[in-house]
Amino acid sequence: MEHQCHWNEVANIFLPREATIVQAVQATPTEKHFTLKMSDGQPMEFEPGQIVELGLLGYGEIPIGFASSPTRTESFDLVVRSVGRVSGAVCKLEEGDTVNVRGPLGHGFDLDKLRGRDVLVVAGGIGLCPTRSLIQYILDRRDEFERFVLFYGSREPCLQLFGDDLACWRGMQEMEYHETVDNADPSWTGNVGVITTLFPKVQLSPETRAVICGPPIFYRFVIRELDAIGIPRENVFVDLERRMKCGVGKCGHCQINDKYVCVDGPVFSFADVQDLEEAF
Amino acid sequence: MTTSFIRSDDFAAFLTAMMEAVPVYGPVAKRSRFVFERLEAPDELRLDYDVTILPPKKLFFPPAQDLLRFDEAGVEAALEPTEKVLLGVHFYDVKAIDQTDLLFSERNYDVNYMGHRETTTIVASNIQNVSGRAFFASVGTDVQPEGHDAFLTAIEGGYVFETRTERGEALLGYGAFQPATDAQIDEAARVNAAALEQCPEKLEHGTEEIATKVRAAFGDDELWNELAADCFSCGTCNTVCPTCYCFDVQDTWNVDQSGQRTRFWDGCLTEDFAKCSLGDGGSENFREQRGQRFRHRIMRKATYLNEKLGGPACVGCGRCSAGCTADIADPVRVINRIMAS
Repeated sequence: MEHQCHWNEVANIFLPREATIVQAVQATPTEKHFTLKMSDGQPMEFEPGQIVELGLLGYGEIPIGFASSPTRTESFDLVVRSVGRVSGAVCKLEEGDTVNVRGPLGHGFDLDKLRGRDVLVVAGGIGLCPTRSLIQYILDRRDEFERFVLFYGSREPCLQLFGDDLACWRGMQEMEYHETVDNADPSWTGNVGVITTLFPKVQLSPETRAVICGPPIFYRFVIRELDAIGIPRENVFVDLERRMKCGVGKCGHCQINDKYVCVDGPVFSFADVQDLEEAF
Repeated sequence: MTTSFIRSDDFAAFLTAMMEAVPVYGPVAKRSRFVFERLEAPDELRLDYDVTILPPKKLFFPPAQDLLRFDEAGVEAALEPTEKVLLGVHFYDVKAIDQTDLLFSERNYDVNYMGHRETTTIVASNIQNVSGRAFFASVGTDVQPEGHDAFLTAIEGGYVFETRTERGEALLGYGAFQPATDAQIDEAARVNAAALEQCPEKLEHGTEEIATKVRAAFGDDELWNELAADCFSCGTCNTVCPTCYCFDVQDTWNVDQSGQRTRFWDGCLTEDFAKCSLGDGGSENFREQRGQRFRHRIMRKATYLNEKLGGPACVGCGRCSAGCTADIADPVRVINRIMAS
């Protein structure tokens, strides 16, 4: 056997680190927004689009995308939707409680391909969480990017995430923010309709770099709009989600054909995955 | 490295001396079949086995393996590998171990597998009896078995023992070995070549040809649905496969509030393997149909990993063919059918 390293010289990839919850906000009826710091005081160093395995000993681990920008080094944000055993237990935690994290893991947004370009982010539902990492990054380093457009779609107004951010983004000069809901309530005065109804509102250059993150059904409709604008598919980046256990390219659950979402992704160039039959 | 000979009469003493020094695992009878187990006595060793129920990967990647242990004081890794000898591995299983060695060590090096692997000395052995569904002679024929420390071949009157590594060489000290004669070496080569002639099943095409055509058949939903029509989604084909390495991870508590994080073998044929909860009782299953899951396994075995492994992720042991209740898992039948279409 030829191996570069030996088992007793290598850290165990399943051994987590402890993080402390410094803020916990119930964002929607099912989603909780956590702000965390590593308990040892070290910063969490990551790239927008990367993921972390968030764990609670005795319950398990779940893969979650960073919801804050690495430019904000004080802490990092994760938003957890309560859907199962682990996420349900995590969502009961409050400020001062601790969790375990493994990461950063995976391949995030290729910032070098976005710098100096017009950037369009299209986020649907909980897809705003991992893209918020990129949105904050762009806003923090605004002069490194050209025009910045954000489309955000939610099912209902009460399911919108990051209300404080949205209030700020709505009037911001640094970005063009457009939002829609599938189903309005009496309080809603904005656009009603699926995400694609936002596209006629802005004129986008075919040179734009586009980033998409949303529910599985979302992608094919958004891609159709981007194709119509003439944005080449290698300039379209998709942030994909699959069932995931290990987060390190071993357990097999997140495979899309021969790709492992946890290590090859979760961010892919659309050109790299468009021919994968299991991707969309 | 060297080639030695040990007489049949001296073999039990060799095993006994080795077992006194280090745990030795090998094929033993379990009713009418065979399993790799720790040897308690030299006469338990059944080098005449055809194939074992489970492949030897279970020594490095146990069906249930604790990754972490935790209690109120904290969390620690559970890995405690020990030196051992694994004796009597057929060459197809050595090829499979080569694959899992690569897959567990590449990109993110997994000590939980590699710790057990690197503390194991592997002695391969010749195939004395061929199982009823084997096709090892016609699959991945360009790929040679690498990860063994010595190779044992039964010939008239004893065994030829070829060492491949220093670790294999060190085993010579346990027995009354003498240098093999040219005649003995020739006979061992003949015995090993003869086993290749006895496979009951055979792939009709080469690795690359198969990979190209099987990959091209991906979109033929009718084919995959038909092939998988009788699938019980039980995952037996995954469980008995020497190259399958997918796993689930679960935490469990003990009564004293300590607990463990454990990985368990999992299989892509099982219904919920790619199923995600979306909340509110909703879910998304990325491989919902049996045909999709059946196809994924065949793609994994015949195409997806070929570039990385240098050959297919199948070694022709025939365990899946024999283990499948519906008898639909046989890669030879599936692949030959696709090649003929």
